[in-house]
Amino acid sequence: MAINQTGQDRLSRLFATACIALAATLLWQPSLATEWQSEVDNSQLNFAASFQNLPVNGRFKTFSVKCTTDQAARPVNLQVMVSVASADMGNMEFNHEIQALDWFNGADHSTAIFTSDHFEIAPESKAGVDYIAHGKLQLKGVERAVAVPFDWHQISHKQVAMRGELSLDRSDFGIGQGEWATGEQIGLAVRVWFDVRMVITDD
Amino acid sequence: MSLKNSPDQWGWLSKLFHWTTALLIFIQIPLGFYADSLKLSPFKLDIFVWHKSLGMLVLLLVIVRLLWRIKSTIPTAIAGNALEQLLAKLAHGSMYALMLALPLSGWLVSSAANFPVKLFWLIPLPAISGPDEALKSLASEVHEICVFALIIILVTHIGAALWHHLQLRDNALKRMWF
Repeated sequence: MAINQTGQDRLSRLFATACIALAATLLWQPSLATEWQSEVDNSQLNFAASFQNLPVNGRFKTFSVKCTTDQAARPVNLQVMVSVASADMGNMEFNHEIQALDWFNGADHSTAIFTSDHFEIAPESKAGVDYIAHGKLQLKGVERAVAVPFDWHQISHKQVAMRGELSLDRSDFGIGQGEWATGEQIGLAVRVWFDVRMVITDD
Repeated sequence: MSLKNSPDQWGWLSKLFHWTTALLIFIQIPLGFYADSLKLSPFKLDIFVWHKSLGMLVLLLVIVRLLWRIKSTIPTAIAGNALEQLLAKLAHGSMYALMLALPLSGWLVSSAANFPVKLFWLIPLPAISGPDEALKSLASEVHEICVFALIIILVTHIGAALWHHLQLRDNALKRMWF
């Protein structure tokens, strides 16, 4: 009996310890990580298509960026959601045309999503780039591996400026099909650049 | 044939300006209407590149032509009553104004529409305005009104030239001919 009792004691002590450890883990982890959220009014997500090798600029009016940093204030998770229908190329006719089936097909694929997989600390040689987020971009129903280099500049302990630039190939995502597919007039490379102001979320 | 104008004959430079702009305008007007009527396609964009390229060429030619006109002697007006003289002056003045207004308003449409272009697939045309929907609509209206005005005046101009040549049998057309 005595042996049994001691065994039970041990077991319950072990269980209690495990519970405390688990609770501690659950309680500690979120407080180490910081959640950042983009401020709509202070953020820009721009793109430049090209016609005859001349840039045609546009922007996405609606998008949201969420980022998590670890205790060392390094980004560990990044998620970007972009409303494809909010693409604005400064001309109502263009804006209408780019939502067509051959282009964005915004009716069927209204949101583009980038989800990070892992982060790389950029080599010193890359000016204005602190990190490279490797992840997947879902756009027009196609998922592709994309690397997003960016500069992570802490303005205050509650504010961060995130800037970067990358180039995408529109043909990877089937954007510009049929007679537009060649890229002869409207280039295949699309430059994307962003300047996002992020703040710590309250929760 | 002399390079410069004389009191009773246009010089060959003035004739060259007159007939090249005439040719370009006869291409430009149908080309513009055609391009506008097309559904969006790479072909439509190519047609617009032609229209914009030729339009800018007209603008350049008209500017040089006006400078040349200011600098040179103008052949004496063909005989006619005061009203005819006034109408001729008005028509010629309006054509010069429209030959400037059409390419300029077209350029503004292109710029305000955020549409870059390389003239003749070679020379990038700088934008004269940022993207601006309201300005684009306004410039389009002006472009359209100008082209209808030009068509009316051109019909009158050609009609008057033929009337002088065939009916009055004077020198009006001959002195612009080669």
